Amino acid sequence: MYKLQNGVHGEVISVLNTVSGASVPFDPNNTNYQAYLKWLEEGNTPLPAENT
Amino acid sequence: MSQLQVNRINDASGGVLAPISSVMRNRIINGAMLVNQRGGTVTGNDGAYGLDRWKASCVPDGKFTMQQSSTAPTGFINSLLVTSTSAYSVTSTDFIGLRQDIEGLNCTDLGWGTAQAKTVTLSFQVYSSLTGNFGGSLFNNAGNRSYPFSYTISSANTWTTVSVTIAGDTSGTWLTTNGRGICVFFSLGAGSSNSGTAGAWAGSFLAQPTGSTSVVGTNGATFYITGVQLEVGTQATSFEYRQYQQELALCQRYAIKWGGNSVYETFASGLSFNSTTAWVCVAYPVEMRATPSVEAGYANISVTTGGASNIAATNVAIGYSGTKAAGLLVSVASGLTSGQATIFGANNSTSAKLVLTSEL
Repeated sequence: MYKLQNGVHGEVISVLNTVSGASVPFDPNNTNYQAYLKWLEEGNTPLPAENT
Repeated sequence: MSQLQVNRINDASGGVLAPISSVMRNRIINGAMLVNQRGGTVTGNDGAYGLDRWKASCVPDGKFTMQQSSTAPTGFINSLLVTSTSAYSVTSTDFIGLRQDIEGLNCTDLGWGTAQAKTVTLSFQVYSSLTGNFGGSLFNNAGNRSYPFSYTISSANTWTTVSVTIAGDTSGTWLTTNGRGICVFFSLGAGSSNSGTAGAWAGSFLAQPTGSTSVVGTNGATFYITGVQLEVGTQATSFEYRQYQQELALCQRYAIKWGGNSVYETFASGLSFNSTTAWVCVAYPVEMRATPSVEAGYANISVTTGGASNIAATNVAIGYSGTKAAGLLVSVASGLTSGQATIFGANNSTSAKLVLTSEL
């Protein structure tokens, strides 16, 4: 399960893995992000971000 | 002028005194198990890191623990200790072990996946409460090329030196990028579907040779390993000792921990964006492999501004970041003032920690 995280300008800047607790950047070389992309490919949808 | 051409210098008994190549001879990082930024005893869940660069790689999770140990052979002061937490009987699709992934950028000279693939030698020292034939494997990023290797521990609770020479793989795809180049796996138990013939390349993932001893099959069994070295050539040379700061810096390309030095240790400075969010800049001591994640488990950290001291942080999100520095968004319940400078750090605790990771 993942939850999007907003930046200071209201844009989405990262995603929280709600199981592990890791905050994951949108970097294709980051292996946590690669796992997130795989999770999306399986048809899942992240929870929306809360306002910063 | 005469010229002397040698590959190494041996002593009278054939031991290698001086390998000629001494720069990046060992492709393994933290092979002496010295660097342990996270600390503590870690449950062997898939992807969990114990000592730096060494992680559990397993299906299923939770069959062992791993920690740094001061039990070590001559020439070393540390090892990585694995302790089996049950008498687990592996099923056919299980694989349980320790693993280090070597970055592809550190394998660019090996030529694996080509006809010019170089032979490598893996050496290490092990000590176990069990005896028998043990195993492991080398495999590629895709897990569709692997080489199971076998070694024997004849005497329990005795350090045993192991050396395995592996002809480089002339097939498959082996990354030479900042992704996984070569994965080195030490098996603690694997099922029949993940076991195969020792000493030969296979076109699938194999964790170990068939029939290898299962460490996780004996409750309380111990397995120590140190002095791990993977080098080009057909013979194991002496372990490549590096200065501690050099080894630490190599580890920090993949994980950096702040905290533990003093109760109000400063990690970074920044700016309060509003009453509940501070935007702080953390500079890394070395360039990281990729933009890092904020690892779970950050604790006892706070933000201090001009008007309020040590406001406990409730969340830390990776934000405007790269491989040289991170822009973290630190949340608090309340108490910040927009526009004020902030200090981000430990909240009256040496247990405070923040770990950024770009592991493979």
